[in-house]
Amino acid sequence: MSDSTRRSDVLDWVNGSDAPEKSVLNLGFMALTDSASLIVAATQGFAQPYGLTLNLQRQASWATLRDKLLSTELDAAQVLYGQIYGTHLGIGGPATDMAILMGLNQNGQAINLSAQLMQAGVTNGEALHQHVHHDGAKLTFAQTFPTGTHAMWLYYWLASNGIHPLEDVRTVVVPPAQMVEHLQAQRIDGFCAGGPWGALAVDQNQGFTVATSQSIWADHPEKVLGVTREFVELYPNTARALTMTVLEASRFIDENPENKRSTAKLISSSEYLNAPLSSVEPRFLGHYQDGLGNAWADPHPLHFHAGGAVNMPYLSDGMWFMSQFRRWGLLREAPDYLAVAQQIHQLELYRQAATALDIKIPAPMRSSTLMDGKCWDGLNPERYATSFDLHALSTRSGIAN
Amino acid sequence: MMRVLLIDDTPKKVGRLKAALIEAGFEVIEESGLTIDLPARVEAVRPDVVLIDSDSPGRDVMEQVVLVSRDQPRPIVMFTDEHNPAVMRQAIQSGVSAYIVEGIHAQRLQPILDVAMARFESDQALRAQLHARDAQLAERKRIELAKGLLMKMKSCDEEAAYTLMRRQAMSRQQKLIQVAEQIIAMNDLLGS
Repeated sequence: MSDSTRRSDVLDWVNGSDAPEKSVLNLGFMALTDSASLIVAATQGFAQPYGLTLNLQRQASWATLRDKLLSTELDAAQVLYGQIYGTHLGIGGPATDMAILMGLNQNGQAINLSAQLMQAGVTNGEALHQHVHHDGAKLTFAQTFPTGTHAMWLYYWLASNGIHPLEDVRTVVVPPAQMVEHLQAQRIDGFCAGGPWGALAVDQNQGFTVATSQSIWADHPEKVLGVTREFVELYPNTARALTMTVLEASRFIDENPENKRSTAKLISSSEYLNAPLSSVEPRFLGHYQDGLGNAWADPHPLHFHAGGAVNMPYLSDGMWFMSQFRRWGLLREAPDYLAVAQQIHQLELYRQAATALDIKIPAPMRSSTLMDGKCWDGLNPERYATSFDLHALSTRSGIAN
Repeated sequence: MMRVLLIDDTPKKVGRLKAALIEAGFEVIEESGLTIDLPARVEAVRPDVVLIDSDSPGRDVMEQVVLVSRDQPRPIVMFTDEHNPAVMRQAIQSGVSAYIVEGIHAQRLQPILDVAMARFESDQALRAQLHARDAQLAERKRIELAKGLLMKMKSCDEEAAYTLMRRQAMSRQQKLIQVAEQIIAMNDLLGS
C-alpha cells in the first residue's frame, strides 16, 4: 500500500463515521526504554493524521499508573503484561475489566545483582544457588509490581536455579527508576527491571547483569498498550486509531539502526527517561555489556515491531502470566485460561488496525521453549502451571507427584 | 454559594424572581434592562450562572448572549413566558444552556440551574475537543508544508522527507512540529 493511499484512507477515518469519539488522550508511561513507541507516536507527528492528540504523562510507579488508568485520569498506558491480568482478575485489589490493544515490545529487561555479590564471587545462577543454600545468605531482590512481568522473570529465573523465590529470598517492590539508588544504598541485593536501569547499574559500577530477560525466554511478551474494557466500549474508534498510531511508530523505530539511534536520543531526554544516553543507547541497539567483562551483540534485543510479530496480542502470551500466577499461589484456583485471555485481548480491533496498515497478523497462539527447557504453547495451561518442581500452589489438585 | 447574575427586562417581575433565588440560597447580583454592556458585567461579576428573565427574547438579547458565550463562557439560563420553538432553538444556538417557559418556583430553581451548569460543562468539553481538532489540523498543515519544502530542497520523496524530519527532531529531543517550523522559517529567510 502506497503512502498516499494510506493518507487518504486516514482522512476518511478522521472525517467519516470511524472518526475517534475522543480526540485528546492522556497517555501514561514509565521512565523505561520500552516506552519508546509511545513517546515517538506522541511527538513525531504519527497521531495527527488519525485525529488524535496524545498527551504523554510520566508516572512514578506502576501502582500509580494502574490507579490513574482505573480512575480515567489516564485514557491508555504502557502496562506490564501481567499487571493487566492481575487487575482484571482482582489480585491484590478490586477486579476491573481490562483490555489489551497491542503488544508494545519484546525483550530488553534484565536481572542485575549488586557489586557486593560480584566481589563475593556470586556471578551466575549456580553460584547464587550455592550462596543462598549453603552460605545461608538471606538476600533481598526487588521487582516492579507483584503481578508484573519483572516479578515473573525474577521468580522464573530463581526457580530455574533451584532457589524458591518466596521461601529462600525476600522480594520487595521498587519503582524501576529507583532501583540503582536502592542497590547503591545496599537496601537490595539485586533487581529485575526494564532498561535503562540495568545498564545504568553496570555503568555506575553498582552491579552487573546476571541474566537478560531474553535469556529466560527469547522474544518474551513484555509491555502492552493497555486500557480499561470500558474505554474500548465507549470509544472503539479511538482505540483503533490509537492502535494504528502506535503501530506506525513501532514500525518506524524498528525500520533501521539510524531510526533506533535517533529514538534513543529522544527518549533519554529529561522529559522522558531522564537517563544518560550512554546507558540508554547501547542496549537499545542490542549491544550488551554485563559488567563482568562480557560484551555481545544480542540476537534477541529489545524490539518494537519485527514486522508485526511483536505487536500481535497473542492469547498464549497472556495465558502464560496466569499460569505463573497459579504457580506462585496468586491465583488459588485454575482460571478459565483461554476465556479470560479472549476477554482481555482485543483481537478484532487489532486485526482491523494491522490490516489497514498492511501489517502481517500471526496466529493468536505461539510456541516457545524457556530457559529450563520447558515448552509453552498455551494448549494445556493448567497442566503446565502445576508441572514445576518449585511452586507455591495452594490447592494441590491436578499435580502429578 | 452559587453566584447568579440576574438580567431582567421586565421591571415588574424582578422582585418575584429575585426573592425566589435568594430563598433558594443563591447570591444574586441584579441588573435591570438589557441596554447594559452584558459581557463587561459578566467579566466584572464572574457569576456561576447568568440568568436572563425576558418577556420576549428578541434580537438584542441573543446578540448579548452570543457575545457572552464567546468571550467569557458562562452557563446562561433563559426564563420567559413566551412559548415559541423557533425562538427556543435560536436561543440554544446562541449559547443558552437552558430555556425555561414557565413561572418561577423557588424549589425548582436549584435543579434547573444544576442541569444548566452540567450541560454547559459538557458543551465546554466538546468545544475543547473541537479546538484540539483544529490545532491538530493546523499542526498537520505546517508539517505537510515543511515536508514539501524539504522534498524540493533535498530532491527526495515524501517518505524520505518525513524520515529526515523525524530523525532531526528526535536527535534534538524535539517534537516534529518544532523541526517543521524551523524548516519553514529557514525557507522564508533564504527564499526572500
